Amino acid sequence: MAKLSLMFENKLVKEVPIGSRPVTIGRSPDNDLPVDNLAVSNYHARVYFEAGRLVVEDLDSLNGTFVNDLRVERATLHDGDSIWVGKHHIKVDATADAAIPWDTGRKTAAPKINETMVLDTKVRREMIQQAAAMGERAQFSAGRMKVATLVILSGNIDTKEFTLTNKLTVIGKSPMATVRLKGWFKPKMAAQINQRDDGYYLGTGDKVPRVNGTPITGTVRLNDGDLIEICGVRMNFIFRE
Amino acid sequence: MQIVSSGLSDVGRVRTNNEDSFRIVEALNLFILSDGMGGEAHGEVASAMAVDVINKYCESEKEDSGATVLDEVPANISSQTRRLKNAVAQANFQIFQSAQKNPEQRGMGATITALWLKDTLLSIAHVGDSRAYLLRNGNLQQLTNDHSLVAEQVRRGLITPQQAEESEMQSVLLRALGAHPEVEIDVDEVEIIPRDVLLLCSDGLTRMVTEPEIAGALQAEMVPSAAAERLIALANENGGIDNITVIVVRFEDDANKGWFSWMRRGSAKKD
Repeated sequence: MAKLSLMFENKLVKEVPIGSRPVTIGRSPDNDLPVDNLAVSNYHARVYFEAGRLVVEDLDSLNGTFVNDLRVERATLHDGDSIWVGKHHIKVDATADAAIPWDTGRKTAAPKINETMVLDTKVRREMIQQAAAMGERAQFSAGRMKVATLVILSGNIDTKEFTLTNKLTVIGKSPMATVRLKGWFKPKMAAQINQRDDGYYLGTGDKVPRVNGTPITGTVRLNDGDLIEICGVRMNFIFRE
Repeated sequence: MQIVSSGLSDVGRVRTNNEDSFRIVEALNLFILSDGMGGEAHGEVASAMAVDVINKYCESEKEDSGATVLDEVPANISSQTRRLKNAVAQANFQIFQSAQKNPEQRGMGATITALWLKDTLLSIAHVGDSRAYLLRNGNLQQLTNDHSLVAEQVRRGLITPQQAEESEMQSVLLRALGAHPEVEIDVDEVEIIPRDVLLLCSDGLTRMVTEPEIAGALQAEMVPSAAAERLIALANENGGIDNITVIVVRFEDDANKGWFSWMRRGSAKKD
């Protein structure tokens, strides 16, 4: 059975097996692994099995939970890993449960690499799974499709609403432009919106647009409800369901 | 719009061979940069093949159906961008096949960053950790995401950008051409305006030279060939641990329209 060993300066403080119930770690004495250190939050982290994998989850602790050297919110654990909370660390012994062979880049790549290399498919797939397990904090939940929309609030534009289905949306006088500006002194390309994997980004063109009253520098990620102002046109960026 | 471009490649100060390849196809306004990997001389083979296949694919007269190489066809990109994406998919497949046929080439691969301009629409296709930057209004923006392990860790908030810079795993790529018969290709589009400057570069530049230094060099040297030389010199001064390759592209207003756009821009400032 997998077990966790709480260590302080290489001395064993306490050892607990991991069963079906999560193992809790924290400063409060009612934790399975109480850690008496002010740097540790009352309920700091917990370790449990999920779909055959051992997972550590930080419980919004003040000073963070680290697996080896990486600060994590949630991470899959492997035999030999160390979980650090404050100055204590917890050794992970998963030998008896090593059902899933794990060959992370992290371990194989330990010696210094100068040659560029590509992780093989298997490792990558597992990395992606691990990443997926790291909390579904994605902006776009799979549930309902959200459609990004520009709603024109004021300004000289005929269409009142634009659905941003393309990768690139140009705001300007250019024939390319989706949001067509009218008027003599309007630039061909005033600004542009790019659809990327993780959201929509507004970038400058010949003009610097304002988002919620502040001029942008470079590109900024748009949030639901943002007010965009450019060339006398005011519009709302919203997600429609 | 007038387009001036220049590319330069340097072996650096540590390595003995140059595995980077680049090509500027002026007739098409196509800019391709690739960084090869895989021991012996095979990195060079892979990067040269990537550049060549993409050039030929974009040059060929035939209209592509869009679905020849890729399983899914996203409808939200222009046909030009789709074509560039297909060209990259083709390059990936040919490198993969070559490595399968020739056992000594096993494990060779390459990054790719390809930019293609038609009128004012710039198509971007990208795999790996070479980069494309856009300098606009004094602001340097990275147009591509690195497909490296450390970059992915930073994106997921697992490590800080500082930790990434110090990491010993900077060379571990999550995607590259030639590793598998299919590869996920990032594409993007940007509308180009006069006075924009584009930079394509291999990681030999970005690991040695910071972004503010890059922006400074691009702003200080208005002539692309001079900017390219300066960037390579900076990377070598800072150590030059890898091959360094850069392509600098500068866009200018057409000269004969100068007075009018000057007048228009002067007025437009006020609104």
